[in-house]
Amino acid sequence: MPKAYLAIFPLLILLVGCGGPPANNPLLLSATSEFNTAQQDTMVVRHAPVALKEAEEALEKTQDLWESKADKAVVDHYAFIAQQRTLIAIETAKLNAANSELSRSEVERQQVLLDVRRSESERSEARARQAQREAQSERALAADAMRRAEELAQQVRDLEARPTERGLVLTLGDVLFETGKSDIRSEGMRSIENLATFLNEYPERNIMIEGFTDNVGSESFNMQLSRDRANSVKSALVSRRIQANRIETVGFGLNHPVADNTSNAGRQQNRRVEIIISDQDGKVSPRTQ
Amino acid sequence: MEFNMKQYYKFLACVIGLGLLTACGSTNPPTQQLTETQMVIQQAEQDGAEEYAPLEIREAKIKLNLAREAVEKEEYEEAILLAEQARVSAELAQVRAQSGKAQKAVAELRESIRVLKAEIERNQRTD
Repeated sequence: MPKAYLAIFPLLILLVGCGGPPANNPLLLSATSEFNTAQQDTMVVRHAPVALKEAEEALEKTQDLWESKADKAVVDHYAFIAQQRTLIAIETAKLNAANSELSRSEVERQQVLLDVRRSESERSEARARQAQREAQSERALAADAMRRAEELAQQVRDLEARPTERGLVLTLGDVLFETGKSDIRSEGMRSIENLATFLNEYPERNIMIEGFTDNVGSESFNMQLSRDRANSVKSALVSRRIQANRIETVGFGLNHPVADNTSNAGRQQNRRVEIIISDQDGKVSPRTQ
Repeated sequence: MEFNMKQYYKFLACVIGLGLLTACGSTNPPTQQLTETQMVIQQAEQDGAEEYAPLEIREAKIKLNLAREAVEKEEYEEAILLAEQARVSAELAQVRAQSGKAQKAVAELRESIRVLKAEIERNQRTD
């Protein structure tokens, strides 16, 4: 019997030395739990089935080794391999998912590129149309301005106005008025009508009405008469719906004669009303003489 | 009796000695395995593992060095295990690098699509 004990004792030592497996191998446990998590991840199952299978095989091998009570270092080694295989499966799934998204997104990018080109060409067409519209309206404006300039020229001819440094000047002779009076004769109304039409057409233009006389009679009489005649023209225009604030009047009496007062013909030329038409800003430069 | 006991101890020593030898395993160095592992590490580095998986590639290199040291000490079984661990870490590093690059490419592609879509929107607004 003591011999038998002696024989069994070293064998027992040998068994313990070979490493009886512990109740649990922590590395194997964590490798198993990580694998189970990966296996439940549909992305990994879908995108990395082969890598997942390799991880499973590595894990099964570890499990078998542990169950057959293999050395702890060996079980740890295979548990490590199984763990890394699980990580590889997860990463492979990410790689494959990214690659399939790359090919899908590339298709989408091509489509979007086409959309960009289409929207760019639509925009440039729209811009071209806009430019065309603008050019057309500019041409229309230019044509309109030209027409208005021609009309103005025609109106000026109708008024028998003459261009001067102060602007267009229209001279109404004394034949408009009874001698010594400021009422406008019916024959003169035609000129007033033309002037009213012109002022209605060109609301930006104002006028200055200046009255003049010859040297017959007192200076103060002539001054008053020249003012009355200018005002008479103004009220005739106002009664034809021209705004009073567009019309200035001034009387110069016998000053500023245009002809010699020694003859009848000269005096007749001096008895007059001059109407100065403003520029487009509505300003009339005052008489400087 | 005495003689028998001595015989038994001799036998036991032989058994233990043989067992130890067997445990020490292979008698040849795992040269091919080391070369293959080295190649996987190089491929991983070419795929950008230093940038995308620095820890994994470092672990692979350290274990490969340990495997080489084990070979020098003629601990071939240990060398095989270390080389295998190094290889699996290198494989992980490689796939991490590839996946990292692919995900970066996806992000860039998405961004470029977003920019293009914004451009379309801008074109439509200025119409």
